[in-house]
Amino acid sequence: MRALAAKASPGRRQFLKAAALGAPALAAGAWVRGLSPPAEAGSTTAAPPVPSLPALEAGTGNVLLRMQAELRRALAKPVAERKWTMVIDLRKCVGCSACTVACIAENNLPPGVVYRPVLEEEIGEYPNVTRRFTPRPCQQCDEPPCVPVCPVGATWTQEDGVVVIDYIKCIGCRYCMAACPYSARYFDFGEYYTDGTPQRQPYEESPSPEYGRSWRRTGPYSSPVGNVRKCQFCLHRINIGMLPACVTTCIGQATFFGDRNDPDSLVNELLASGRAIRLKEELGTKPKVYYLV
Amino acid sequence: MREERLPADWRKLLWVPTGVALVIGLVGFVDRLANGHEGAAYGSYVMWGLWVAMYLFFAGLATGCFFVASADYVFEIRAFRGFGRLCLVPSAAAMLAGLLHIWLDLGHLERIWRVYLQPNFISPMTQVVWLYTAFGLLLAVISWLAFKDVWRPLLGRPYTAEEAQADRRLIKALSILGLLVAFAVSSGVGGLLGIQASKTYWHVGLFPVQFVFFALASGVALMLIVAAFFYRPAEDRGRRQRILVILAQATLALALLKAFFLFADYVQSIYGGEPANVEAIRTVVLGPYPLAFWGLQIFLGIVVPVVILLHPRLSKDGPWLGVAGLLTLIGFVAARLIIVIPAQVVPELEGLRTAFVDERLTFEYFPSLWEWAVTVGIGGLAVALFLLAYQFLLLAPAPAAVPPAPAAGTVPKAPVPAER
Repeated sequence: MRALAAKASPGRRQFLKAAALGAPALAAGAWVRGLSPPAEAGSTTAAPPVPSLPALEAGTGNVLLRMQAELRRALAKPVAERKWTMVIDLRKCVGCSACTVACIAENNLPPGVVYRPVLEEEIGEYPNVTRRFTPRPCQQCDEPPCVPVCPVGATWTQEDGVVVIDYIKCIGCRYCMAACPYSARYFDFGEYYTDGTPQRQPYEESPSPEYGRSWRRTGPYSSPVGNVRKCQFCLHRINIGMLPACVTTCIGQATFFGDRNDPDSLVNELLASGRAIRLKEELGTKPKVYYLV
Repeated sequence: MREERLPADWRKLLWVPTGVALVIGLVGFVDRLANGHEGAAYGSYVMWGLWVAMYLFFAGLATGCFFVASADYVFEIRAFRGFGRLCLVPSAAAMLAGLLHIWLDLGHLERIWRVYLQPNFISPMTQVVWLYTAFGLLLAVISWLAFKDVWRPLLGRPYTAEEAQADRRLIKALSILGLLVAFAVSSGVGGLLGIQASKTYWHVGLFPVQFVFFALASGVALMLIVAAFFYRPAEDRGRRQRILVILAQATLALALLKAFFLFADYVQSIYGGEPANVEAIRTVVLGPYPLAFWGLQIFLGIVVPVVILLHPRLSKDGPWLGVAGLLTLIGFVAARLIIVIPAQVVPELEGLRTAFVDERLTFEYFPSLWEWAVTVGIGGLAVALFLLAYQFLLLAPAPAAVPPAPAAGTVPKAPVPAER
């Protein structure tokens, strides 16, 4: 490796140096993610330990690096002092659905469960025509209509503002789905994309990491089958210092994520632009997902 | 008025379709237990389907029949004396059918205990479940008391007139409580839908009020069928006529009231112009299944029964009145579907319809054969329970129900059961 580095050009040497520094960081992240004890479903206060990772070079103009630094800054605070917020710039979204696919892959979602579909609308008529793409994750409302209707209190708003579901408690009555004005909740029917093919593919049977636990679907009575499911801002990633999958995957950098309670955060900068709106504001649900128009 | 009743052989004949329904239902039930919801046609956008609609239907029937029973037990209307316990049987059967539907509709039916041990009382669903449970318990106790004259002699213990009087007072007290609970349950079911502000088709202020009348209307219609085909008071044949007349007039009045509610709701919504609401009504009136609304709910469920009930000759004919009750109930089945489904077939957000293609993410719904099978089976079970109870409780052999002749100095015994 040393000989290889000596032959390398300055630029390449720099890259290899960065890689050498970054590899342990990635390994540490993966180790923490893999071995961190599963959070108790329903836990609202226990903040998993933030891994000690090398400082990121914020201020380099890389939006992802900046948001990740802010994320880790927020994780150092008590849970109740964070307010996770997402901002989606509709002028930047190209409707590639990479976020949709990344979300499905990250959370290992079955057919019929799509946490972040991208809505497509055609506006106007030729020649004055355009298309608008609106990614629609769970809006993580401050006043969520889905929460009070749950007959067993299986869904609630965490202190950090994320609306979560306790898969062990949920009875699958789907009342919360009916109450959600954004259709952001989905029912797991226990189906697989590769059913009906010669063999169900193993990747579909791998567990979902949601809420920091390992959810393996083994039949109609094994959660999350028979449960209502929804986007939870990739809490299992956030809590170990990683941005939600949809944020890191967005090819146009149209999705931003951060702590609304951090006055220096990028999301606060964007929300001050005067372009921010929320979906169905008139319902008083106070979403924590904003759209820049 | 003709004094016709369903002959005993006809009752036996009823077991044929009932048995077929039970077998079909058993297949669906086993599949539900084995494979969860895979056979369902509903999805994540139309999340409530046939079973929820049938839950509303049977819950309405259960409380509605109890409302009719209260004419005997609470209000002590002379014409209804002895008719109360005939209402208890279909009420209990309907309650069981309603609970089975909503239980099977749960994603995790094995977790139903959580609604009792970890309840969130803010949720209207919890409130309805708890009230429904209270209603069921009251119904069980009242039935236990009301049929004491049948089961006590079987234990070899006489049922005295004094005991009967004391039980009658107890039944009255419990029935007053039951009436309040039945009112709250039927109203609460309307509220369960009505609180959902984002679904304007459901968000009708009068829903909790309307559902009480809907329950009463369906209960009265069911009791009209029972009175027409099964009721035959031994000691006073004129009572059957009086009850038929009262139930027929009540069915007529409630059918007209139901039509008025429907008209007011739809016209107000169309004038209001809220797009999702108008779209939902357009789906009902002109949409993919106009037969359900115009054919079943309006024509068969309201128009034909009203014509029968207003007809000078038919309105005095027992079997025709039973048919009017049956058609009214068919209309109610359609009405319940038309309440539950249309609010869900209008996307909450423009673009959701095409955002992700999956059979669970559509805004169209027609119940699958599997859903129908389960519903048919549960309906068959309710009918079977009624027929069994009718045979063994209401048509109990006279010798078994009659206590031994009174000895000197003892109190007189209870009369022979009224229904024969």
